[in-house]
Amino acid sequence: MADKEATVYILDLGSSMADCHNGRTESDLDWSMRYVWDKISTTVAASRKTWNVGVLGVRTDETNNPLEGEEEGCEGYENISVLQELGPMTMNSLETLRRHVKTGDTQNGDCISAIVLAIEMIEKFTKTLKYNRKIILVTDGEAPMDSSDIGDIAEKMKRSSIQLTVLGVDFDDVEFGFKEEDKSSIKKENEEILRDLVEKCDGLYGTMAEAIAELETPRVKMIKPYKTYDGLLTLGDPNMHEDAMSINVERYFKTHKATVPPASRVVMKTESNGGPSGVTETADGDEMQGVEPTPSFSAVKDARTYKVNDPDAPGGKRDVDFAELAKGYEYGRTAVHISESDYNITKIETTKSFSIVGFIYQEKYEPFLNMGETGMTIAQKFNDAAALKLSSLIHSLHELESYAVARIVTKDGKEPTLVLLAPHIEPDFECLYDVPLPFAEDVRNYPFPPLGKVITVQGTTITENHRNIPSQELQNAMDDYVDAMDISSWERNDEGNRTMEYGPVEDLFSPQLHRINQVIRHRATYPTQPVPPTPAILLKYANPPEDLVAKVKSDLEDLIDKASVKRVPPKAKGRRDKGDKPKPISGLDIDALLKQPGNKRDKINPDKAISDFKQKVELADDQADIENAIKQMGAIVRDIVTKSFGDQDYERAIEHIGVMRDIADQYEYPDLFNSFIRDFKTRLLSGEFNGNHRELWWKMKHARLGLIDNKESEHSKVEAEEAAEFLKK
Amino acid sequence: MADRWNYERRDEGDEEDEEDEFTESHYKAQKDALIFAIQVSESMLQPPPKSEDKKASTDSAALTALKCAYRVMQQRIISNPKDMIGIVLFGTQKTKVPDDIRLQESQCYLLTDLEVPAADDVKALRDLVEESEDTDEVLAPSEQPADMVMLLRLVLHLFQTRAPNIGSRRLFIITDNDDPCAGVKRNPSWDPAVGAKDIHDHGCTIELFPIAHGESSFDTSKFYDDIIYRDPILDEVNTGKVAPAKSSDGLDLLHSLVSNINSRQTPKRAYFSDMPFEIGPGLVISAKGYNIIQKQAPARSCYIWLEGEKPQVAVGETARLAEDSARTVENYEVKKAYKFGSEYVYFTEEEQKSIKQFGGACIRIIGFKDRSLLKFWASIKKSTYIFPSEEGYVGSTRVFTALWQKLIKSKKVGLAWHIARKNGNPQLVAIIPSRATSDEKSGTQYLPAGLWLYPIPFIDDVRDGPETGKVIRTTNALTDRMNKVVQQLQLPGGSYNPSKYPNPALQWHYKILQALALEDVVPSQPEDATVPKYRAIHKRCGGYIQEWSQVADDVLEQMREQKKIKRELEGDDEEHESRPAKKSRATAKDRSVDEDGLSNVELRKRYDSGTLTKLTVAELRGAMGDRGLDTKGLKKDLVERLEQWIEDNV
Repeated sequence: MADKEATVYILDLGSSMADCHNGRTESDLDWSMRYVWDKISTTVAASRKTWNVGVLGVRTDETNNPLEGEEEGCEGYENISVLQELGPMTMNSLETLRRHVKTGDTQNGDCISAIVLAIEMIEKFTKTLKYNRKIILVTDGEAPMDSSDIGDIAEKMKRSSIQLTVLGVDFDDVEFGFKEEDKSSIKKENEEILRDLVEKCDGLYGTMAEAIAELETPRVKMIKPYKTYDGLLTLGDPNMHEDAMSINVERYFKTHKATVPPASRVVMKTESNGGPSGVTETADGDEMQGVEPTPSFSAVKDARTYKVNDPDAPGGKRDVDFAELAKGYEYGRTAVHISESDYNITKIETTKSFSIVGFIYQEKYEPFLNMGETGMTIAQKFNDAAALKLSSLIHSLHELESYAVARIVTKDGKEPTLVLLAPHIEPDFECLYDVPLPFAEDVRNYPFPPLGKVITVQGTTITENHRNIPSQELQNAMDDYVDAMDISSWERNDEGNRTMEYGPVEDLFSPQLHRINQVIRHRATYPTQPVPPTPAILLKYANPPEDLVAKVKSDLEDLIDKASVKRVPPKAKGRRDKGDKPKPISGLDIDALLKQPGNKRDKINPDKAISDFKQKVELADDQADIENAIKQMGAIVRDIVTKSFGDQDYERAIEHIGVMRDIADQYEYPDLFNSFIRDFKTRLLSGEFNGNHRELWWKMKHARLGLIDNKESEHSKVEAEEAAEFLKK
Repeated sequence: MADRWNYERRDEGDEEDEEDEFTESHYKAQKDALIFAIQVSESMLQPPPKSEDKKASTDSAALTALKCAYRVMQQRIISNPKDMIGIVLFGTQKTKVPDDIRLQESQCYLLTDLEVPAADDVKALRDLVEESEDTDEVLAPSEQPADMVMLLRLVLHLFQTRAPNIGSRRLFIITDNDDPCAGVKRNPSWDPAVGAKDIHDHGCTIELFPIAHGESSFDTSKFYDDIIYRDPILDEVNTGKVAPAKSSDGLDLLHSLVSNINSRQTPKRAYFSDMPFEIGPGLVISAKGYNIIQKQAPARSCYIWLEGEKPQVAVGETARLAEDSARTVENYEVKKAYKFGSEYVYFTEEEQKSIKQFGGACIRIIGFKDRSLLKFWASIKKSTYIFPSEEGYVGSTRVFTALWQKLIKSKKVGLAWHIARKNGNPQLVAIIPSRATSDEKSGTQYLPAGLWLYPIPFIDDVRDGPETGKVIRTTNALTDRMNKVVQQLQLPGGSYNPSKYPNPALQWHYKILQALALEDVVPSQPEDATVPKYRAIHKRCGGYIQEWSQVADDVLEQMREQKKIKRELEGDDEEHESRPAKKSRATAKDRSVDEDGLSNVELRKRYDSGTLTKLTVAELRGAMGDRGLDTKGLKKDLVERLEQWIEDNV
């Protein structure tokens, strides 16, 4: 639960804000609003009812505020308008606000008065409740201010714990390193006043350029610590033995995948009477006075229906009522039904616990075994005994260069997991980090040949002079290159020396997360503008640092030379020469055997059509043979579909078509396949094959069994667009 | 299994992505169909020679092979529930083949038809291997030797009709006869080599698991080299041969057969292939990626229709409805939008694509670091194994190997920008080498040598822990005591070996399911290898732990003493309770005013004037929480409770 917030933005809308300064092509207001919109839209995106935003305009043409012309002693509140009362922010209020934020013709209006108003707004709204109170003032400081009450105002803000931030357009800022020359005397004076005020109330003071520059750096959302376990960490069983070790601990997330805003499925809202479509019809193409209707969307809900096989039903399937269904699992292809009351029967019974299984050496573990996110375990708060005992375990693991393997059940009934505990010691902090370990079932047994040696069919081992084994020259070149490309201390420190690690975790921002947030905020604020480019900071680690690449140039050139890697032309992929075909280990001449009269595949046997077809094409003498093979296959496929009961033989048909397509492409007769598939599609969709087999076409589309276009095969006469179009319908 | 779910889901998600990459056999389903062909002959049925060892198995080779198949079947149901398994016995006296194929006198017996196994299949097989209930006397050899052509025709038929369009289809032949065609005159149109060629051209593979008895050997060149294929391009791995399993020397045949089959069991599925691996600007090689490490979880529950003859899984279909009008919407109407506040922000399809665009799939090294800079806690998800491939760039293997050797030698890791597939999300990965399986320094000899893409968390994924107070640190004496315990409880080899720890929750789930499906008695006690060996721990370390506890208590006592002295020295003895622990039990007892709540005086006043009820629930709760009272319940209860407290305390 985040704290409640009340923030009032004071925006200077005086005529001078419409000008451009210091080489910018944007008006001072638009430029400043980049910052403000970013902040406000972040608030909208968070969609929190407890985050309230109010907006005041100062130097507005009108005057519209509660203190206006009240009793005496309240002068100085002219040309200040409440643009939005404090309240939760929505897309709609954002849009209304956008219409109000415009510069006017007014030159006067007192920012200090506006601050007083903002304080009033906040106090009225928040009363004495717990809130984070903020005022953010954006001004160019070109209008006179009355500084007489500054002391009192600052005192008031401190008492109400309101934090004031002043962001000035082209205000001088020594720390940021900005100084505006030929500043007007009034601005100079105002900067003094505001700086004084900020100092008195412990606020923040900065120049706008700095705030805008900071927008570039993605904001990392802070999340309150989440406790995943609290209880005992044990060694041995304290329930059975007195001499078991048990320490009161708490475990938290150390890493946890940040969620990326998901896209939802929506449809345009249907307006029953006089919706947009109706209007256009009657207006007969007349544009609605240039007003584009804001699209409004409705969420899409999923409605699930269930089907079972029923040989008597048309298509072999029929709908069943959800109420008729029970829950269960599949065991192989057997459906195992489990009644509601037994539902937990397949769940292992466990009790909450965290216990050490044993210890291993650090050097015997590899991080690529990690299954996921890290946890951190610390001693229970305010428990000296736990802290002391845990510390001894941490230090012991550290001294012995060991890790502990432990079994954790985070809550009663949760499945047990094994984690690896590692010691972590800082001057003022100690903890155990843990990562989840794989179980037996999580590690797959995939055999791979060894690297750096080659074992021949005959069983001899070769360790040099082989195309797959690096020569000494290549190895040396690689060694030099890797050493030269070291970035362990490539980043410059504050003094400009290369002492810091390049690309530490602290500098890695999730490109996906921040990109989506960026474009959503941008679109919400400027609905008509195109999507902005990806900020450079998100792409910083997409390539090696340029200065480093320049440094290693000669090492890299040497490595490229020694490696002498050759690109396989894309066309050659998947194709193979005769000699490269898979063949029996014995090297038996299978082609010769197939050429024997008894093995001729003149007529393709539908029972083993795929092999016959491949062999027929392989041994074809001329194009006519291949044409004939494709023809025969076409007939077989049509027969399969015609005889298919419901979707029973669809997979078979798809496999046959897929093989035809691959072979036609491989043997460079794409057009033979293309004419087959055109004809097949037409007949299929017209229901020629004994009933409705539309579903098959849908499946073929999914498997992309369409035309072979000329991008895929240069021999094809079909354009890519045509092929795409073919699959669409 | 888990990756298959993902696979399907991914397909769903990428529906719109027209130009999504696909490989050669993109139209095929990512499943495996496996046929065991087990030879039945006198020698296969011979019990092993009597052994001194009481534990030695008395099973014949054929029975052992069936046991093996039974194990694989059980495992598959758990790990890949959509995979098909069939079992054919060949050389049997009895013949049983499907009706839809004409193969008389084939001496083949189709024990389990090729399909996703059903509970009945498992049960039948179990009865055969465990109870030796060979009621149908299928394990009787024919007089004529088995005809290999018949077997291959039957297998091709099964693959063709039962397992159409499945990505991986394999025949495992288990036999002790290295020359099944001895004495049979080969006839070109009735040649097993042609049958084998048909099987290969149908996109299936044949693998041989030979068995050798006693001192005899198994000579594959006599026959099997003609029907086992080797692909010179793709088979960088398979030399096509498996060493014979021995049934002698006290070596357990089952063990060695199981390990042979296990090494080929899972069809090797690449997670990505022909991936450009950029070692430096201008130097690209190609690599394949594999999910060797992959979390396996029970399959999701489903809905079952019980009204029919047999319980049946109901297949769900989704129709999409618009939330406002509840009308059915067509796919083309559905647009993707992002929630912004309570509204939606919409992007066109092209914009959607461009937002996700961070460049094509790649692994691009941006530098190298000392391995020590990779922090233990910087872990976020599982790693991907990569292996060189000559597919895209000739010479990839040697360059990859040179890099691998250098990283091991210099204890370095690469840092790389990685996008696993087109429109995928970029991830920064550390490139870490795994040592050769033969390398004694390796703690992971069960994993192949190669490089691993180890994902590094983004700063957005890193959480802060809670505030902690001053560190209370161990003493040398106490750490020494703990060292004794740690040294005593090393796991075997000082390393973690996953194969020793099956996932107890997963195993239990399927054990119960199996019992329910086979109508067995439901077991009561799960096996759980992850539970620490308490007895051994206490036996080995009980004493050391006691010593450690004793020292810890002493240290704590000393700490208390010191604090007391310090406090006394500071003359701070008025507040005896200013221990850190105070904060947690701080009650308002001796505080008269709290910061933003109500003071005791005020409460008393309200109590006396009966205006406690005028307070809001939030105020009441605040006041009560500060005083350590229960804050649950209705306002009436809160007021009563607070009144009681005021009576007692103020």
